[in-house]
Amino acid sequence: MKINRRTKTIGWLLLSAVFLVTVTLWGCFWREEALITDFSRKNLPPCREYPFGTDFMGRDMFVRTIAGLSLSIRLGILTAAASAVFAGILGICGAVLGKAADSFVTFLIDLVMGIPHILLLILISYACGKGFFGVVVGITLTHWTSLARLLRGEVLQLKNSQYIQIASRLGMGKLQIAAKHMVCHLLPQFFTGLILLFPHAILHEASITFLGFGLSPEDAAMGVILSESMKYLATGKWWLALFPGGLLTITVLLFHVLGDSVCKLLDPGSAHE
Amino acid sequence: MKLEAKEISFRYQTGSRQILNKFSLEIDSREQVGLIAPSGFGKTTFCKILAGYERPDGGSILLDGRPLEEFGSYCPVQMIWQHPELSVNPKRRMKTVLEEGDRITRDIIRGLGIEEDWLNRFPAELSGGELQRFCIARALGERTRFLLADEITTMLDLITQSQIWQFLLEETRRREIGLLVVSHSRPLINRICTRKVEMEPWT
Repeated sequence: MKINRRTKTIGWLLLSAVFLVTVTLWGCFWREEALITDFSRKNLPPCREYPFGTDFMGRDMFVRTIAGLSLSIRLGILTAAASAVFAGILGICGAVLGKAADSFVTFLIDLVMGIPHILLLILISYACGKGFFGVVVGITLTHWTSLARLLRGEVLQLKNSQYIQIASRLGMGKLQIAAKHMVCHLLPQFFTGLILLFPHAILHEASITFLGFGLSPEDAAMGVILSESMKYLATGKWWLALFPGGLLTITVLLFHVLGDSVCKLLDPGSAHE
Repeated sequence: MKLEAKEISFRYQTGSRQILNKFSLEIDSREQVGLIAPSGFGKTTFCKILAGYERPDGGSILLDGRPLEEFGSYCPVQMIWQHPELSVNPKRRMKTVLEEGDRITRDIIRGLGIEEDWLNRFPAELSGGELQRFCIARALGERTRFLLADEITTMLDLITQSQIWQFLLEETRRREIGLLVVSHSRPLINRICTRKVEMEPWT
């Protein structure tokens, strides 16, 4: 039997979705366990009982990694969703509400894009008192721009398309045109943009936490795990960074695969491939 | 009913070239008028102005002495465009095309040779000629009083062309819908139209 690309895409989609959901739920379940310290088992290299080893406080790194990833994924979903909604509202307002609104939105996009991402993220997170709230606000306010620009462009292009002009001469109102003619073009873009925001959000959460401007050190977050491991890397405790870092990379890649697969499946142009 | 274009002047903002300069035309709803001009003389632009897609820089469009805006959201002057594949939403099924404006009767659908199983397809799954039949049907709603046909059969073979024109002539004569036929083809206009107008270069 020959497997066509569509089946393969669906396979990848399911695989990544199952992995991400499992990790998220598993991590929620292990939130308390990730904090258990036991000095009788500290600094153990990977073995059968502790596949990812243990750290200087005798915490099971496998449990900590899963709990950290789960926190990252949940934070990623929250911020990506908030960011995408923000992008949707601003992008569509810019395209629909006339010239003044459009130049305001374009100005905002340029403003946010003009400042280096990580710098703005640190500033906002710090201003909001760091922690979970600071990270969420920071990532939301810095990640909406590219999707907003994309949606604005799409709406502008749709507004000038022939079939939408015809529809308005046939007596369809603005709302009707938006619901019947525009939504079917914008939704795929929106969802793909939303899913592709996850990996960004997760990586940025990890990086500002690593730099000390994000989540607090007592959380089992990826950034905390990685920055703690830095201190022990030079003494030969390689497992503290390798496994959590590797799993973070895999998670981000799987989100990317997920986004790409959804994009391919939603685009009717690729239906016959 | 009478559709009047009075001294229409127009130029696009992006280009500085004057496209129309004080062009006037009058169509009665019982006649079929042919409009002939070489490429680039503003035939399509003129149709767009007549059907209310563009506002002229000077002059006015009157239907029975009243401006088009007074006729509500459904424009009684409907235009059929040259490129049917741009005139329908590529992401919606064909049956929704017929629901955009007024209700389209079964007679129109049958008369244009639209087949039942085309209705559930997407635009990319139909040929240009098949799509154009949908666009023609859509423009023939109950409230349509004038029809502007901008090179609508240029891409079709002769047999299909004659089928479509035969139906359009019958339908527009019966319902007293005024017809403006824009074409390069003099033989076509000679056969269909009761009167023909040549656009003169105004420079």
